[in-house]
Amino acid sequence: MQLESRAPGGPLQEKWDKHRFDLKLVNPANKRKFDIIVVGTGLAGGSAAATLAESGYNVKNFCIQDSPRRAHSIAAQGGINAAKNYPGDGDSIRRLFYDTIKGGDFRARESNVYRLAQISNEIIDQCTAQGVPFAREYGGMLANRSFGGAQVSRTFYARGQTGQQLLLGAYSALMRQVGAGNIEMFPRREVLDIIVVDGQARGIVVRNLITGEIESHAAHAVIMATGGYANTYYLSTNAMNSNVNAIWRAYKKGAFFANPCYVQIHPTCIPVHGTYQSKLTLMSESLRNDGRVWVPRKSGDKRNPNDIPESERDYYLERKYPSFGNLVPRDVASRNAKAQCDEGKGVGSTGLAVYLDFRDAIKRDGAEAIRKKYGNLFQMYERITAQDPYRTPMMIYPAIHYVMGGLWVDYNLMSTVPGLFVLGEANFSDHGANRLGASALMQGLADGYFVIPYTLGGYIAGSSLSDVNESHQAFKDSVKKQTEQINKLLSINGKRTVDDFHKQLGHVLWDNCGMARNDADMEKAKKMIPEIRDEFWQNVTVPGSAGDLNQSLERANRVADFLEFAELLVEDAISRRESCGCHFNVDFQTEEHEAKRDDENCSYVSAWEYNGEGKEPTLHKEPLEFENIELTQRSYK
Amino acid sequence: MSMNLNLTLKVWRQKNSNDKGHMETYEARDISTEMSFLEMLDVVNEKLALEGKEPIAFDNDCREGICGTCGAVVNGIAHGPQKATTLCQLHMRHFKDGDVIYIEPWRSKAFKVVKDLIVDRSAFDKIIQAGGYVSVNTGQAPEANNIPISPEKAELAMDAAACIGCGACVAACPNASAMLFVSAKISHLALLPQGKVEASERTLSMLRKMDELGFGNCSNERECEAVCPKEISIANIARFNREFIKANLGSTVE
Amino acid sequence: MGWFIKNFSSSIGKKQIMAITGLIFCTFLTTHLLGNLSIYGGKGSFNSYAEHLHSLGVLVNVAEVFLIIFAALHISMAVVLYFQNLSARPVRYVKKKNAGGRTISSTLMPYTGLIILIFVIAHLINFHFADHTNQTIFDIVSNVFSNPIYVISYVFVMIVAAFHVKHGLWSAFQTVGANHPKYMPFIMAISLIFSLIVVVGFASIPVYIFSSI
Ligand SMILES: Cc1cc2nc3c(=O)[nH]c(=O)nc-3n(C[C@H](O)[C@H](O)[C@H](O)COP(=O)(O)OP(=O)(O)OC[C@H]3O[C@@H](n4cnc5c(N)ncnc54)[C@H](O)[C@@H]3O)c2cc1C
Ligand code: FES
Repeated sequence: MQLESRAPGGPLQEKWDKHRFDLKLVNPANKRKFDIIVVGTGLAGGSAAATLAESGYNVKNFCIQDSPRRAHSIAAQGGINAAKNYPGDGDSIRRLFYDTIKGGDFRARESNVYRLAQISNEIIDQCTAQGVPFAREYGGMLANRSFGGAQVSRTFYARGQTGQQLLLGAYSALMRQVGAGNIEMFPRREVLDIIVVDGQARGIVVRNLITGEIESHAAHAVIMATGGYANTYYLSTNAMNSNVNAIWRAYKKGAFFANPCYVQIHPTCIPVHGTYQSKLTLMSESLRNDGRVWVPRKSGDKRNPNDIPESERDYYLERKYPSFGNLVPRDVASRNAKAQCDEGKGVGSTGLAVYLDFRDAIKRDGAEAIRKKYGNLFQMYERITAQDPYRTPMMIYPAIHYVMGGLWVDYNLMSTVPGLFVLGEANFSDHGANRLGASALMQGLADGYFVIPYTLGGYIAGSSLSDVNESHQAFKDSVKKQTEQINKLLSINGKRTVDDFHKQLGHVLWDNCGMARNDADMEKAKKMIPEIRDEFWQNVTVPGSAGDLNQSLERANRVADFLEFAELLVEDAISRRESCGCHFNVDFQTEEHEAKRDDENCSYVSAWEYNGEGKEPTLHKEPLEFENIELTQRSYK
Repeated sequence: MSMNLNLTLKVWRQKNSNDKGHMETYEARDISTEMSFLEMLDVVNEKLALEGKEPIAFDNDCREGICGTCGAVVNGIAHGPQKATTLCQLHMRHFKDGDVIYIEPWRSKAFKVVKDLIVDRSAFDKIIQAGGYVSVNTGQAPEANNIPISPEKAELAMDAAACIGCGACVAACPNASAMLFVSAKISHLALLPQGKVEASERTLSMLRKMDELGFGNCSNERECEAVCPKEISIANIARFNREFIKANLGSTVE
Repeated sequence: MGWFIKNFSSSIGKKQIMAITGLIFCTFLTTHLLGNLSIYGGKGSFNSYAEHLHSLGVLVNVAEVFLIIFAALHISMAVVLYFQNLSARPVRYVKKKNAGGRTISSTLMPYTGLIILIFVIAHLINFHFADHTNQTIFDIVSNVFSNPIYVISYVFVMIVAAFHVKHGLWSAFQTVGANHPKYMPFIMAISLIFSLIVVVGFASIPVYIFSSI
């Protein structure tokens, strides 16, 4: 199968405009006749569902949580980028485009990224109109701050709760449409399968998490905005319910999976402190605006950080990258932290942490100013660690945070299954091999508010869609199959819990396919994962029954998919014979230990095709062409 | 420094919304003081699962105090003894060895127990559906800086908008009133020019929906404010009351 | 008119009726207290205050009617709210603690209110509907407060009323929307001071009378 990006030709600036003109339109009066399923109520799903309903479609919206307002997007802290150039510091659409491509280590599609940069400004307008209380300057104008990987200040924020406020904005639009009867909301549902009829996505099968009932829902198109799969690693900054199920099951129905190995490790998280730990907590990147990262010069220096004099501290990011300093992109910051700890300079009881110090900023601006900017983050840190970051430096360490990989989509955000669209973190589209801070919120909202309403119309108007409803055989077969899988899980009655397997998988991945990868370890992981999976299916214990709320069963269902997906993740990492962005294979590095790309041979998107159970997947490559940007070795010096 | 605790838990167990439910006692052994409260429950649940018993069902997602999914009444206080803290942010270092801990679900007519500690808070969504939004379609927005907003107002709006919708206010209120939740949304939007346009309609219809759903009436007990993990002030309730007067007596909206 | 009924029967509407009538009662208490204090001027001064009051004629009756209406509104709203609030939590907590918002006076509102109601009825029977033909109001008062039981219960009820007023006064402000970070501490202080004035002012009279006979 040929991968068609469907990116329109012509000059970069005009592509989106031209494309929108070329797309067929659905008569507004006819939109009512089309049922659209949107899975997910995060920034991408929530904004899409609301906008599609506003324009007249009949929308069914699904999510796992008890309320759409609780989607994982709520946790985003730092901010959202846009090319408004309000501070007048030289920003432009082209610069945002360039920074994003470069930040992604030249592994994203130019056309998509440019569109994203174009749309970014409209997002800020839309959210402001909804009442998102962005931070303001004294004169009442919108304020900005800086994020990693950029030398301009283009990040809009609402304290340390930007994701929350943006999501509540989308949620309010969603609720308005639910109230108006244009959206039917299905909370506490988990997607188990995608239904494909005549090669088109025509519905989903979900489990009602309260009654346990397996439900069928038919539609004319399916939009998946189910977020990222970082939880494959067990410990991550993602919410507990984040999973790979929905997109993994779509993969098994023919949607290609792109770049699964691009997993972002965020440099500033609260370090792991115990084996019982269930998740990791992010300390927003925005902290690097004022916090300085350092380790003691001497390895094994166990003194209280405040007793270590200036001359014995190594502000290694400022030293190595004078022009970006503490604001280098995430992949660079993370790898450097790991390198320092590997040299034995790590701090804290485990030696797996570096300092993020606000002493100088507090001296310069006063504690009150710092409290205003980061108060809630400091409080969050204090809650967890019982240490006061106003007095002693924070300890941070990299943690799994975000995935650039996801289902492959074309310029219309449609997967290789016609009628199945994928938005937000669930797709692979805009961030290449590394996402810049404050760009995920931008992408999710761009996809949902401003891209899908056009491209979905183009698909609906341009396709012939037969009559399919819930009594179609495809639904019945799927319900039967899903019921069997659930019964199987419940009947194993083994000796290990679901979480136990998940932790084991997480360790294998983190140790062997984490921040710095090598072929031998990855091969080892590739061997171990199927073994864990086999044991899982023989020795897991899932208490409770299928017919009611059963959280163990929910988790078992998710871990079963993580165990399958992890293998593809490792396979993809092995197959990419270069280092780029977050994928760092130690065999491919520059003399300065930076990721060394191979543009000649590896300038492609990997897209994996499922070939059936027990069969090797096929790797397809979508070549990346750069017409507007010169490929360079990334340098943040 | 980390220490280990042995605790006795008294937990509300209820199979589903039709079941009557009862308190059950569990022993939690070797609980590190560095664990979070939910991690402590994880440990108890792992043990139950290995014994083939059904783990205690409790809602949670972000585990960092922002999604509003978690929540239980711990020793009589919603989200437990620590101020400005959600249950997932509560750490075991705030408990002592040998403590007996009561864990109960939010209790309110409007929040039915779904299972064990999980309740149905869809009433909150219904209230927002009644008017907790600005009626602006995608694409209708003016340029963002056309609407200047003083930082003072933006900050006050943000204080109110910080609500995570966890429902602790209802759980803690002696009257199971939802006034803090509703007033936070009313305030957030009433403070901003964008929200002023439809303030009267919003106030009346959210209020009516709230009443209809069976929440109690506010008698200014301030328990809501005391347990609110986001420290949302009852000044918002006063603003809601004010907005009500405006809508009731100062507008033509019925 | 539909809107009127709809809005004033909403939860906030009902509470605002309570708040407004409550505030009126606070004003009433103030004037009542000022009048009562004339007793410290001796028998003559107290009796002349009563005469002055009665010389207002029909105005007094109008005021009384209004007070009865307000009382009826205040009490009926209280009853409705009380039962609605009870039914809003059908299953109670096994263990419930205060998190720091509730005070004794806020917790006891319905009960202090009930005690005040019973007291007001008794009070009216004792003084208002007493036989005024052969005795001045001062005689009646002295008579009643020569009984220590009356004195003690009167003082007790005034303490109860102070608790009611302490929460009720600021609460009424809050309910009509008067809460502002700059002024709220002031309103809280006023509520406390006013409740102290109520208890000291009203309760001192029977004690004074009892001890002076
Ligand atoms: C702690 C943290 C901080 C962050 N901070 C920032 C930041 O400052 N700036 C920035 O740009 N980005 C940030 N990010 C990244 C960003 O938040 C996410 O990438 C983004 O919110 C993802 O949005 P989404 O809509 O794609 O998915 P999500 O918000 O994850 O939503 C997924 C939705 O899909 C539903 N769902 C998932 N699986 C299923 C299933 N199987 N069945 C049914 N429904 C399902 C869920 O219920 C949910 O509604 C942060 C991420 C984290 C973890
Ligand atoms: S789990 Fe999200 S607030 Fe506690």
